[in-house]
Amino acid sequence: MSADAARGAKLAEPGRFRARLLTTILVAPAAIWYIVLLVLPLVIVVIFSFGTRAKNGGYAPAFVLDNYARALSKPDPFIDSLWMAAAGTIGCLLVGLPLAYFIATRATRRKGLLILLLVVPFWTSFLIRTYAWLLILGPGIGVGTLLGSLVGGGRVDLLGTPFAVLIGLVYGYLPLMVFPLYVTLERMDRTLIEASKDLGAGRWATFRQVTLPVALPGLVTGSILVFIPMMGEYVIPQLLGLGRTYLMGNALVTDFLDARNWPNGSARAVGLIVIMMVTISGYLWFVNRGRRTREVSIL
Amino acid sequence: MTDRDLDAAIRRMTQSRINRRGFLAATGLGATSAFLAACSSNGSGATAAPSTEASAAPTAAPSTEASAAPPADIEKELFMYNWAAYVSPDNMELFKEQFGVETFTYDVYDNNEVLIAKLQGGASGYDIAAPTAEYVPGMVEEGFLQKLDLSRIPNVKNINKTFKGLWWDPTDEYQVPKDYGTTGILYRKSLISKIPQSWREFYEMIKGEASGKTVFVDSMGDVFVFPLKMLGYSLNSVDQNELEEARQILLEVAPHLYALDSNEYGFKLKDGTSVLTLGWTGPLGQELADEHTAGEAGYVVPSEGTLFWLDTWVMMAEAPHPNAAYAWLNFIHEPEVQGEETNYNLYATTNDPAKEFVNPEILANPAIFPPDDVIASLEGAQDTSGNNQRIDIWEEFKSKIGG
Amino acid sequence: MSATAVPATLPRVARPSTRRRADPFGSLIEVWFRVHTGAVYVFLYLPILVVVLFAFNDTQGVAARFEGFSIRWFEIALDDPVVMKSLTNSFIVAIPNAILATAFGTMAALGLQRVGKRVRLGFDALTYMSVIVPEIVIALATLVLFATSFDAIETLTGIKLKFGYPTIIAAHVLFNTSLVLLLVRARLSGMDRTLAEASEDLFATPWRTFRQITFPLLLPAIVAGFLLSFTFSFDDYVITTFVSGPGSSTLPLFIFGQVRRGVTPETNAVAAMILGFTLAMLLIGQAVLTWQARRAGRRGDTGMAAVVAET
Repeated sequence: MSADAARGAKLAEPGRFRARLLTTILVAPAAIWYIVLLVLPLVIVVIFSFGTRAKNGGYAPAFVLDNYARALSKPDPFIDSLWMAAAGTIGCLLVGLPLAYFIATRATRRKGLLILLLVVPFWTSFLIRTYAWLLILGPGIGVGTLLGSLVGGGRVDLLGTPFAVLIGLVYGYLPLMVFPLYVTLERMDRTLIEASKDLGAGRWATFRQVTLPVALPGLVTGSILVFIPMMGEYVIPQLLGLGRTYLMGNALVTDFLDARNWPNGSARAVGLIVIMMVTISGYLWFVNRGRRTREVSIL
Repeated sequence: MTDRDLDAAIRRMTQSRINRRGFLAATGLGATSAFLAACSSNGSGATAAPSTEASAAPTAAPSTEASAAPPADIEKELFMYNWAAYVSPDNMELFKEQFGVETFTYDVYDNNEVLIAKLQGGASGYDIAAPTAEYVPGMVEEGFLQKLDLSRIPNVKNINKTFKGLWWDPTDEYQVPKDYGTTGILYRKSLISKIPQSWREFYEMIKGEASGKTVFVDSMGDVFVFPLKMLGYSLNSVDQNELEEARQILLEVAPHLYALDSNEYGFKLKDGTSVLTLGWTGPLGQELADEHTAGEAGYVVPSEGTLFWLDTWVMMAEAPHPNAAYAWLNFIHEPEVQGEETNYNLYATTNDPAKEFVNPEILANPAIFPPDDVIASLEGAQDTSGNNQRIDIWEEFKSKIGG
Repeated sequence: MSATAVPATLPRVARPSTRRRADPFGSLIEVWFRVHTGAVYVFLYLPILVVVLFAFNDTQGVAARFEGFSIRWFEIALDDPVVMKSLTNSFIVAIPNAILATAFGTMAALGLQRVGKRVRLGFDALTYMSVIVPEIVIALATLVLFATSFDAIETLTGIKLKFGYPTIIAAHVLFNTSLVLLLVRARLSGMDRTLAEASEDLFATPWRTFRQITFPLLLPAIVAGFLLSFTFSFDDYVITTFVSGPGSSTLPLFIFGQVRRGVTPETNAVAAMILGFTLAMLLIGQAVLTWQARRAGRRGDTGMAAVVAET
C-alpha cells in the first residue's frame, strides 16, 4: 500500500476521531493565518489586476485585460531579475553549503555558537549594513583604494558592478540558505559516511550518494527560500548597483508608487506569482522524480 | 560676511540644534509663562524679543498680537506624519510646552508616493502630514484632507502671496505652505571646465567631459524637467510628441550616467566620483558644506527654467486631534518659529516676517532663496503620474542607465 | 577434472582494508573547510565592524570619512526619544511575532504529517505563495484588507480598530510562519519515525510523544525558526511601512527615513548598541545555562549553544 493509502486507512479507523481532532488543531492556526492574511489579500490583488487606474491613482473597479497586456509587453525587468536571482542563488549555495556542512559537523557547543553568530549581524539594520558595504566597496576608503593601489594608482570603483550586487545579495540572503542546509545536514548519521569510506568509496562518491541525498531537502528549501525573494529584490541592486538595474522590484515600485497605478502593478505581480509557482512546481517535480520515499513535497 | 564666518555658521547649523533653553530664553518664553498664556483666554503666541545664537539680525520689535484665543480644549496628543528630520526639534518642544501637548508622535515616510499609497490603501490615524503641493488636489478629491477653517489659523497672513491662490489650492483652504525649493544642477567647480548655466550646456557636458561622472536623482518628476525645459516645453507636458522628443534626449544621456540616486548624491559629489548632478540643494548644507563655503561646490538654476516644489501642511480628514492640529498650523507660522524652521531645514520659507529671524547667510544664499529673476522662470509641478507614456519612458530610461 | 596444482601459498587478494586508507586529501580538505568558514565569518562581520567603527566617528553630521573618536553619538542616540521609541517598537513587534510564528509553524509542520495528500499540497502551495508574493504587493493588499475590514467592523459593531502593533505583528507572522514551517519540515523529512511510532504503540499520549521524542529532535529547527522570525521582523521595512499606525514605527522605518536627510553616526550608534546588547545577552545566557547545568550535575556540553545545537 502506498504511504498515503495506508495513512488514509488509518485515519478512517474508528477511534481515530481524536487523532483527526488533534491534526486539525495543529494545522488550524497556520491555516487561518494563510486564509485571512494571504488568500484574501491575493484575491484583492487579482481583483485589482482587472481594474483601471482611478483618476488620482489607486484602483477603480472595472474588468479589462489591458493591465495584463501591458505587463506581458514589458518582460525585461522579469528577465533581468531571473538572471540576478539565479546568480545570487548559486553564490549563496557555493558560500553556504560548505559552511553549513562545517557547522553541522562540529561539536555541540561550537555548533550552536556558530549558528547564533551567523544571525547576530542581521539584528543590525539591513540599511546600515548595506551602507557599510558602500563604504567598503566604494572608491573612498577600503577595498577601492586597496585595489586601486594594486592596479597601479587611481581608485577602483567596485560600486555599480554586478560583482558588488552579487556580494550584497549573498550577504543578505546567506542565512536563508544556510539554515535549511544546516538543519538537514545536522541530523545526518556520520556512521554512514564512515561505513561508506570503509567500503572503499572515494570522497566524491560518498558525497554524492550519502551526503547529498540527506542534504537534498535542505538544499531544495534553501534554494527556493533564496531564489524567490531575490526575484523581488531591488534595494540591494539600487544601492550597490548604483541604480543601474531595472528589476521586477523596481517595476513594481514604479507601478504602485510612482505611477500609483495599482491595476498595472497587480497584473505584473500576478504574472510573477503564476510564473514562479509553475517554476517551483516544475523544480520540485524534477527533484522528486525517482525518489522512492514519500515525496519531498516542499522538502 | 567672510567665507570663514559662512563656514562657521553652516557648521553650527548642521550640528545638534542650538540648546533649547537658550532658544526659549532668547525668545522670551519661559515654560511657565507660555503655559499660563495658553491657558488664559487672551494670550496666544509669544511676546518676542527674538535673537538666536547664530543670527546677527537686529532684535525685532515684539510682533505677535493676540490672535483668536486658542481653544482651551487642545488635545494632549498630536500625530504627525512627515519627512524625516523636517521639523526643528526645538520647535516641537516649544509647541508642546506652549499648548500643553504631551505626546508629539512624529512618524516618517521617505517620499510622497508612500504617503499617498498608504492613504489610498485606507490608512488613517494621523493629524497632520506634509505632502508636496502637486499631490494636494488629488488628496482633496479622494477625501483625505480636511477643509481648513482659516479663522483658526490667523498666521496665514504672514505667508507671501506668491504662494497663495495657486492652481493646486485656489482657495487656500486645504493646505498651508511649508517651504519651497528648486531642482537644478550641482557641480564641482575644479573638476569641470566650466559651470553649466543651462540645461543644454548640462546636456552637452554629460555626453562629453562629464560622461560616466554624472548623477541624477531617482525622481521621475525632477528628471523630466531637464529634457522638457531644454526643449522649451512645459515640464508638466503630456503631449505625445513633446514627450517623445524628451525620450530621445533621456535615452541619449542614460548610458553616460554614473548612478541614479536620491540619497547619496551629495557624497558622490564630495569625493569627486561625480562632477555634475541633477538634484536638490540639501547637500549644500550638509555633505558639501565645506566645499560650498570654499566656493568649490555650487548649485545652478538653469537659464531655461526649472520647477519649484512647495511642501505643504495638511490636516487629515479624520484627524483625531483637530484642535491640536490647528494649534500647530498656526504656531508653525509664527515668525520666530518659522525662522527657526528655516535655520534648521535650510529650505526657503514662504513666510515673510519670518525672514527677520533667518540667519543672514542663509537668506543671502541664492541656491536657497532664489533671486526674483530666477523665481520668474520657475514652473510649478503637476501630478502627471497617471500618464502612461511618461511611465514607459521612465522605465526605459532606468533600464539604460550606465549602458 | 584433473587436479591443478594447488599453489603453496594463496595469492594475495586485494580486499578492503579494515583500517582507513591513507587519505592525502583529507587534511587538505579539512583545512579548506576551516578557511572557508573563517572567510565567511570575516565577510559577515566586516561591515559590522565598519558600522561600529563609524559609530565612534567624531563628526558634526553626515560623514564619509572617519575623523576621530568620540562617543557623543551614543549619547545623542540615548537622548533621542524618537530612536528609543522606534527601537522599543521593534522589540514589541518582533518578539510576539517570533513566538506566534514558531508556534504556528511547528504545529502545522507536525500536523501536516498526518493529513491527506490534497490538504498537504494545498498547504504547500500557500507556503510557496507567501514567499513568492513581493513584499510591496502583499503590503498594499494587506493594508487594503485591513482598512476595508476595519470599516466594515466599525459599521457593524461600532468598534473602531486601528493600525498599530497588532496589524504589524499579524502581517509579519504570515511570512515567518512559512519560514518556520519550512525549516521544521526540512528537519522532519526523513527523520527516523520508528521512535515516535514505538512511543505511540506503547500508548503514550501524543503530547508525551511530542515532548520526549519529537520535540528534542526538532529543537534545532524550532530554534532556528525562532531566530529567523525575530530577525526578519526586526529588520522589515516595506510591510511595516504600510500597515503601521501612528506611534508604531519601528527602527527600520526610522533609519530609512534618515537616509533622505543623511545618515548620521547616530544610526550607527544605535546599531552598535543593539549589537553589543545582543552579544552580551548571548554571553550571559550561555554563562547562566552552563552554571545551571553544572549545578544540576550535568557534565559535558552545556549552555545555550547546546540547546541550539542539541541533536
